Amino acid sequence: MEMIDHLATGFAAAASWQNLLFCLIGVLLGTLIGVLPGIGPIPTLAILLPITFGLDPLSALIMMAGIYYGAQYGGSTTSILVNMPGEASSVVTCIEGHQMAKRGRAGSALATAALASFFAGCVGTVFLAGFGPLLSKIAQQFTSPDYFSLMVLGLVMAVVLAHGSVLKAVAMVLIGLLLGLVGTDVNTGLTRYTFDINGLWEGIDFLPLVLGLYGIVEIIRNLENPPAKRAPISTRLRDVWPTREEFRLAWPAALRGTGIGSVLGILPGGGAVLASFASYTVEKKITRQPERFGTGAIEGVAGPEAANNAAAQTSFIPLLTLGIPSNPVMAIMMGAMIIQGIQPGAAVMTARPELFWGMVASMWIGNLMLVIINLPLLGIWVKLLSVPYRFLYPAILLFCAVGVYSTSTEPFMMVLMMVFAVFGYILMKFGCEPAPLVLGFILGPLMETNLRRSLTLSRGDPMIFLDRPISAVLLAATLLMILLIVLPQFRKTREVAFQED
Amino acid sequence: MIKVRSPQDLGAGILFLLFGLAGIFLGRDLDFGSARNMGPGYFPILISCFIVVIGAIVAGRAFLVEGPAIERVQFRPIFMLLVALAVFGFLISQIGVVLTSILMMIVAAYARPHVRIVETLIFAVCVAIFVAVVFVFGLNQPMPLWWNG
Repeated sequence: MEMIDHLATGFAAAASWQNLLFCLIGVLLGTLIGVLPGIGPIPTLAILLPITFGLDPLSALIMMAGIYYGAQYGGSTTSILVNMPGEASSVVTCIEGHQMAKRGRAGSALATAALASFFAGCVGTVFLAGFGPLLSKIAQQFTSPDYFSLMVLGLVMAVVLAHGSVLKAVAMVLIGLLLGLVGTDVNTGLTRYTFDINGLWEGIDFLPLVLGLYGIVEIIRNLENPPAKRAPISTRLRDVWPTREEFRLAWPAALRGTGIGSVLGILPGGGAVLASFASYTVEKKITRQPERFGTGAIEGVAGPEAANNAAAQTSFIPLLTLGIPSNPVMAIMMGAMIIQGIQPGAAVMTARPELFWGMVASMWIGNLMLVIINLPLLGIWVKLLSVPYRFLYPAILLFCAVGVYSTSTEPFMMVLMMVFAVFGYILMKFGCEPAPLVLGFILGPLMETNLRRSLTLSRGDPMIFLDRPISAVLLAATLLMILLIVLPQFRKTREVAFQED
Repeated sequence: MIKVRSPQDLGAGILFLLFGLAGIFLGRDLDFGSARNMGPGYFPILISCFIVVIGAIVAGRAFLVEGPAIERVQFRPIFMLLVALAVFGFLISQIGVVLTSILMMIVAAYARPHVRIVETLIFAVCVAIFVAVVFVFGLNQPMPLWWNG
């Protein structure tokens, strides 16, 4: 079988001592930072991105993937033990996981989360190995109009998934697109919106933008509204194993979560957040004892945790085959690839198979490491949770600064980060979420290029987007999503879904 | 009588309006071109116009639909954090990563009231050493360790 050959290539590339070591370091560092309350995968990846610069491309990507899983798992640990989600996809884990912890089943909740994640990770990896090549064949058919429509769909999905007002989320996407256009126009060589500042000629740097909007604003938020003191719930390792009854309830939920996550992860705009919400909703709907939900139902931990991990794997598919990131996490991954000199897209798989398959293999290895190291190291992570915030935030701030300084020693980069910190602070006060902005920022230049090419091809006729079958299907899907937002029935569900946090 | 029902939305709407108008104003010299031959100004101006329209709707809606109030702005945290970042940006090339890190973390500590200076200092020194070891020695990042480079 071809797939097994490919996977063998991948494992051969990924399983070198050096790469295993970087994978391990990535998983450990990711968990270490991710476990800190209030820091989700996005700032974790952004802070740790600079440490991968010196590595060769495969090791760097393996380490980044390791950091991502680690951060996600760390976030779940924090959710279960202190009821403080670091990011949206852990919000759901908080609901049931923390209730379980209160009833003295913290160990069991953590083990369930770990095992469900591992199972989903295995399936997600197979999914990626199976669907990746298939999708990259389809991707070869893609032309400019198709890419443009795909990005429109992705951005509309990002709007649907954003919290709060739809209109504000649309505006955030557009502001992101505009910010993405700052710099030299590739077509004419003219500079746009640069204010004659040298540091802006090549566009706004990604790292100061993300760290300003997420990392620093998060610190300010926590300083303004100190979270209520919540002591982590103590766990003993011997309570880790789920009871037979818990296991019986958990495994079908994990199975369903894996399925939901694998599918939703591939969708443009989809990913871990959507998957965990969807899985929780499904579990709540199909259970025979709905009264248990909200008081620590283990299905509500197993399902969403499996779903977000499966989606974390499969959301690599659009990035690796089409070169289009479907969410901010993948946008950072894309940034990491470009820094390494790799343009993500279908060409990666054919031109550098060891890179693609090595990454696929390393995802599975990373998941295995998570299970092996996390349960024994639980004690350390719990200790970390009791470090007071007055120590944590100056250190986090320093890491943000050092991270930006490592990518560019220009003092201007620090100014840029400060500007985005202020901008993010204003957005926070006005109730606007930055995630759609980040996605728009990454897609801005790509969208302009593809729009320009499409309209040049059609001599200015916008009907080209409907004449091409792939593009037409994608736009139809976009229209469907817009209808879903507008229709009152779904609107209510969306509001309810986001009320859980 | 006109009454602001959703202060957050009004603020966001005005912010969007300003952003979109700035996009149009600052991009006024860029060649717009036409759909079949897009100039460098085509896409940015188009997007800026969309932002203005949405800004107007969001701001207008703030007078019609109830919404949450704007949380009180506290100047101390954001101000001290910005000063800390400025300290880092200015000093790192002058006095090196170790001293800069210590200074920055002390400034940052004053973003909260009731600073315990001794404790803060000890912690700052430890983290600064950690950063120097990891980033300068471990990862060979291009940053000066001390003032003499």
